[in-house]
Amino acid sequence: MPYFGDQEARSIIRDTYSRVRSDGTAVAEAFYAHDELAGVPAEAVAMALGVGHPVRHAALRTGESVLDLGCGAGIDTLLAASAVGPSGRVVGLDMTPEMAARARRNAETGGFDHVEIRAGLIEELPLPDSSMDVVISNGVLNLSTRTSRVLAETMRVLRPGGRVSITDLVLAEALPEDVLKSPAALAG
Amino acid sequence: MLLKKFFNVGFEAIAVVERRWFGLADLARYPLFTPEFLEFMGKVMPPHRHNELVSSIAVTARKPVARR
Repeated sequence: MPYFGDQEARSIIRDTYSRVRSDGTAVAEAFYAHDELAGVPAEAVAMALGVGHPVRHAALRTGESVLDLGCGAGIDTLLAASAVGPSGRVVGLDMTPEMAARARRNAETGGFDHVEIRAGLIEELPLPDSSMDVVISNGVLNLSTRTSRVLAETMRVLRPGGRVSITDLVLAEALPEDVLKSPAALAG
Repeated sequence: MLLKKFFNVGFEAIAVVERRWFGLADLARYPLFTPEFLEFMGKVMPPHRHNELVSSIAVTARKPVARR
């Protein structure tokens, strides 16, 4: 049973992610190799909030186009950009304007000219049909109240034969109702 | 449930390529969570689940070349 509607959930998540600050590297160091982290701006490393390493499993090739759903401050977007090289294209999408601005700044700081950051909803992807080779996402799908809609949109924007690599949190056992009703748990 | 949603929208070659547990100590790394929230979680979750609150999974899949 959902405890938050679409709008309320989005509001809680936007508010949480617009306020979050970090100058540590504990999350990034849990998932990424040091040489990978050395290739992206420090702010993107400090603001890593994902739950895995979707780029590692994406088998990206030079020249491919990649969409990062819920890019946050951009760590996976920029790692994907490194993997596909300047002949490729990477789009980072985030519904929180502050996060999109951070990702844009980090792409500029890192000199990733083939990265484009957009503000928007993962349930309504602002991209044409069959326009991307790969879609990645890191710890974002569970934040949507309409996961199937997100996956349908992902399917729409992928080219035939296109790939997804998504890391996300799943429950092995139900959480207590007090946790499910918690805005902090929703945003995390 | 998540994998079924991938299947239902038409993805193929769906695979879980990595899985790891997330416990309270893992959550504590994230600036998203306040000490008060972590304390709340510690109280409301039974001790045997403190190291296994949720799983992080990595899923890969492919859009068919010819849609069904």
